Amino acid sequence: MNAPGTTEPTEVITRARAGDAEAWGQLYHDYAPAIFRFCRRALPTREDAEDATMEIFMKLKGKLGQYDMTRSFTAWLYKVAANHCWDTLRRRKIRQDKETDDLESVPLEHPDPSQLQQLIEQRSSEEVRKALEKLGARARMALVMRYYSDMSYDEIADALGVRRAFVGVVLLRARHELRTALEGNAALAAGGTL
Amino acid sequence: MSGTPEEKMKHLDEMTCLLYIERQLDRARGLEVSAHTEECNTCRTLLWALERESRLLTRAMLEEEEPLPSRLEQFQERARKSMQWIWGLVFGLAATGAYALYTGYIQPWQQQLEQAGFGGSNLLNLLIFQGAFWKGWQSMTTLLEVLAMLTLAGLGAVVFRRRIRRGSALALVFAGLCAALAMPAPAAATEFRKGDSVRVEKDETIKGDAYLTGARVRVEGTIDGDLIVFCQSLEMNGHVTGDVISFSQSARISGQVDGNVRGANNNMTVTGTIGKNVMTFEETFTLDPNAKIGGSLTIFAANLGVEGSVGRDALLHFAHGSLAGKIAGEVRAKGDTLNISSTAVINGPVHFEGNKAPDVSSSAKLASPVEFKQMEKKHDYREGRYYVWQVIWAAAFILFGLVLFTLTPQFSQDAVKSAEQYGASAGLGVLVFFGVPIAAIVACVTVVGLFIGISTFFVWYASLYFAQIIVGAVVGQWLMGRTSELWPLIGRMAVGLIIVRLCTTIPQAGGWIKFAVMLWGMGAISLAVYRRFQPVVAPGMPSAPFTPPMPPNTRVGGLPA
Repeated sequence: MNAPGTTEPTEVITRARAGDAEAWGQLYHDYAPAIFRFCRRALPTREDAEDATMEIFMKLKGKLGQYDMTRSFTAWLYKVAANHCWDTLRRRKIRQDKETDDLESVPLEHPDPSQLQQLIEQRSSEEVRKALEKLGARARMALVMRYYSDMSYDEIADALGVRRAFVGVVLLRARHELRTALEGNAALAAGGTL
Repeated sequence: MSGTPEEKMKHLDEMTCLLYIERQLDRARGLEVSAHTEECNTCRTLLWALERESRLLTRAMLEEEEPLPSRLEQFQERARKSMQWIWGLVFGLAATGAYALYTGYIQPWQQQLEQAGFGGSNLLNLLIFQGAFWKGWQSMTTLLEVLAMLTLAGLGAVVFRRRIRRGSALALVFAGLCAALAMPAPAAATEFRKGDSVRVEKDETIKGDAYLTGARVRVEGTIDGDLIVFCQSLEMNGHVTGDVISFSQSARISGQVDGNVRGANNNMTVTGTIGKNVMTFEETFTLDPNAKIGGSLTIFAANLGVEGSVGRDALLHFAHGSLAGKIAGEVRAKGDTLNISSTAVINGPVHFEGNKAPDVSSSAKLASPVEFKQMEKKHDYREGRYYVWQVIWAAAFILFGLVLFTLTPQFSQDAVKSAEQYGASAGLGVLVFFGVPIAAIVACVTVVGLFIGISTFFVWYASLYFAQIIVGAVVGQWLMGRTSELWPLIGRMAVGLIIVRLCTTIPQAGGWIKFAVMLWGMGAISLAVYRRFQPVVAPGMPSAPFTPPMPPNTRVGGLPA
């Protein structure tokens, strides 16, 4: 897949827009792994991610005409994927009311920096991925959008349907949830005041 | 914390640190944070830890720990070659099914009914019998039109859902409803009579329609309109200028009816004159030698005796039939036995499909010999054609399910979920399967409830098919795993439905399986409907958006916090 910043597949996109099946195949071949991984991180199960990847590419056929060629295709594709995944989660109603409450219960004090540092250094990528699976839908979605697909705060706000000013709160709360999941207890994530 | 200079400092909160490393603070605040962390070791460590946390997250998420599933690797090829082909096949087969349904069932019936004097030019006319069967059908026409309009509006909303706002869709629906309400209401009846014994005296004339209900109804006078009767015993000796619609145990029409006679009775005997057509459902129907029907005769009866004269064609379904009178047109009959006696005069051809060859008197005056066809058994499992039709019907079912699932995705998913409560669904299914038709019949007994009763029956009948689709979806989920997505669910429904249809073709057991599926599915639908109308306790809503306690003058990404 073309990472952000590398050359966009303009020619392939143009041909795909014109209905060239080979170009579609090329786009799918290039981008499907990244989109699948995005969905795998954002959705609860592997089957969900597989279904979502297929649906996103089906949707893409109809949406490709809306893509502005002057912008990053990768970013646009991630936006489509994020919207689809969030819609999926929303339709399933697995977004809990608790998550809305979360916005109000974010502790904004210092966590213990040394404990946080220790926690981060001790955890492997695999442990982080497992911990991610335990997070609430909104928290997981926010982290994936920000740290996997490098979406801006504006894009995240748009996808999640929250005010831009709350994106930081959502991300911070997500990190706290992640720490709780990593640590196994809420002590660190609760953020003891220094 | 003790009293070192650093510890006395006011530390940055974690939110500010996060926004700082994410470059979301405005320049001024960013410089403040930067200056603070020059001096504050704790906050600097926190920034560093948060930065590390970001990198850990990115690394963990970007690592490719599992390859692209083979399903996805093959998806593009499959989507291009296979899926479109399958859906094309399904649509093609469904279209064939619809055409076969029309040419095999609807068109012959339409032709027969046209020959029998109903002259329906389209299916809608055929269904409502040109408004003659029951006055309420006129309002049903309106309802059908409204439903058609709303269905079209709904389809339009589905097709253009991405281009219109929800408000526009609502406005569309409301406009449709308003249009429906603005439609002219059917003419109301002018006379209602109810009692143990209801009479219209000989010298009495009722101007307009008469609705009569009672144990015994006797009409000796004149009704200048339609006569609608619900009773135990009807005697119509007078004159009705419109139609007679009768629901009774015993009906005798000895007078004159200028219009049509329709109804469902236990016994009906006609000795008088009927200007137009007769269409009834009876246990026993007798047309006396002196009786005259100006138009056609359409009868569904166990025992049928026609000794009088019929001005046009006759369409007859019976167990035992006897023709001894004069029929000016064609006769199409279907039943167990048919006797055509010596006094019979039939000017048109006679077609009889029955279990036994008709007993035709040599003295009977027929335009041509009776064309007899042995009644065929419906299902012959040994014929390949039977299985071809099963495939076509399965495709038609899938298409029906596709339309239903697309138009009512949430309700369909609710019904599928309800079907997974096996006990409740089956129990409720038994109740609804037997209870609703009974309730519909009870509703029909009253004039007010007639429309509701017949509509309920139609809904009940349609749900027999929908039930199979719901069960198909459940079976599909058993095989392919649960899903709450619409299109995967439709896929599972298609697979499950094929299996269900296959099971229903098993000789002997198939019928019972189909019955069980209908009970189960119908219960699930009922359960979903029941739940839909249950009041939902709204979850506690947050009182107001929370504003994070940012330090004064803090701006997040240039926007006021």
